[in-house]
Amino acid sequence: MSTESPLVVLPGESIDPSLIPTHHKNPLRLGPGLRHIPPSEIVPTVAGQLVVDNRKTSMWIEYNGGRYIPSQNDLIIGQIVRSATDFYYVSLSPYTPNATLPHLAFESATKKTRPQLSPGELVYARVSLANKHMDPELECVSPSTGKADGLGPLKDGMVFDVSLGFARRLLMAKSREEGKVEVLEALGEDGLGFEIAVGRNGKVWVNSESTKTVVLVGRALRETDEKNLGVEAQRKLVKKLVREMR
Amino acid sequence: MATTSSSTSMAIPGQFLGSTSKFQPGPGTHIHESNLYSSLLGVVNITQPAKAPGPAKRLNKIINTQTTTELPTISVLRSAGSSDKREVLPEVGNIVLCRVIRIMPRQAVVAILICGDTVLEAEWQGLIRVQDVRATEKDRVKIYDSFRPGDIVRAEVISLGDQTSYYLSTARNELGVIMATSEAGNTMYPVNWKEYKDPETGLSEPRKVAKPY
Repeated sequence: MSTESPLVVLPGESIDPSLIPTHHKNPLRLGPGLRHIPPSEIVPTVAGQLVVDNRKTSMWIEYNGGRYIPSQNDLIIGQIVRSATDFYYVSLSPYTPNATLPHLAFESATKKTRPQLSPGELVYARVSLANKHMDPELECVSPSTGKADGLGPLKDGMVFDVSLGFARRLLMAKSREEGKVEVLEALGEDGLGFEIAVGRNGKVWVNSESTKTVVLVGRALRETDEKNLGVEAQRKLVKKLVREMR
Repeated sequence: MATTSSSTSMAIPGQFLGSTSKFQPGPGTHIHESNLYSSLLGVVNITQPAKAPGPAKRLNKIINTQTTTELPTISVLRSAGSSDKREVLPEVGNIVLCRVIRIMPRQAVVAILICGDTVLEAEWQGLIRVQDVRATEKDRVKIYDSFRPGDIVRAEVISLGDQTSYYLSTARNELGVIMATSEAGNTMYPVNWKEYKDPETGLSEPRKVAKPY
């Protein structure tokens, strides 16, 4: 549950101690964008909205950055750059070092039955290792169960670029209430059949049997993101686009 | 007693010093086609051989111990001072102290600072491969959980390696990280063979820790 009035903070600002959730047993958990300077200082490191969750005794900052910084367990859409001896080089965003995706990090892959991916193909993967000292590493299989769970190469379709904040809202569990994103549901209600994959690195992959649907979905997402439309405006946009298509 | 006559002549690398029939090669020289050439830029030193003691007396025989006349040793030393100050290079089997420069998924690049007890004048590059980090479970080693850039590591030289770097190993209990700094910037103290702890924040970080812990 977020606070009623959104509090925007700048890097280095001091936070009002009354906002910090306290619990007699649970320790306070800091999410992305906040830094703890012992003994008792909490300082934001990015500009954004401070979100406090009293139930989970946690606080973090919602921000819309320009550059994607990989963190562990993120789902991303990457493009194969080339294949090396034991792994693929995958590009997550331009002008950043490539991530590595081992050949055997796919479901039921052995040395003899490896997936043959060629440069330019898209993969939906999870970040298995990300830190500031090394290039990120990916995997297309769940580490505990060994199943793909929807990860793997993405065939056909088209990729659209969205902002990082919008991608995060799309990936939220309760995207309607918390993320204020209803465009996907609205598109589905209007009878369009499509499949979608959202990457935290600001990429959305859309696939459908009809190309018009793919373009329509892409346009709807782009316009929602660029114009920062609210829920009502999203519905209107979807209706308008569907009407144009027919 | 060996006497050292320091001739004040200088030699440049590749300069002809003498033939092997007249001199024995010492440090800073090399042999090419029975001739001695200098390998370094420095001062030429000629060391006369130790005078052999007189014939030893035994119960039955008198043995002449001086078999052949020894040749003087010619050497080229960088500093004009004593011949004790020599260029120390890491050899196979030496224990060295190094600082981690960069980590990659399959290896850690280090700069060798101290060889044995001597501080090296030049920094040599070393490589610790992922299979040389530990002695057990070599295939499941994660470099990020063993070293971080900036750590001081005690390692053993296992090979002179290739043009760029020596190959080092930390696969013994007493080898590994001896000094580490936490993400917050404080010096950490070791807890057990795989953890260092920051006393100020209380957080621990994984490392391959050297034995006195």
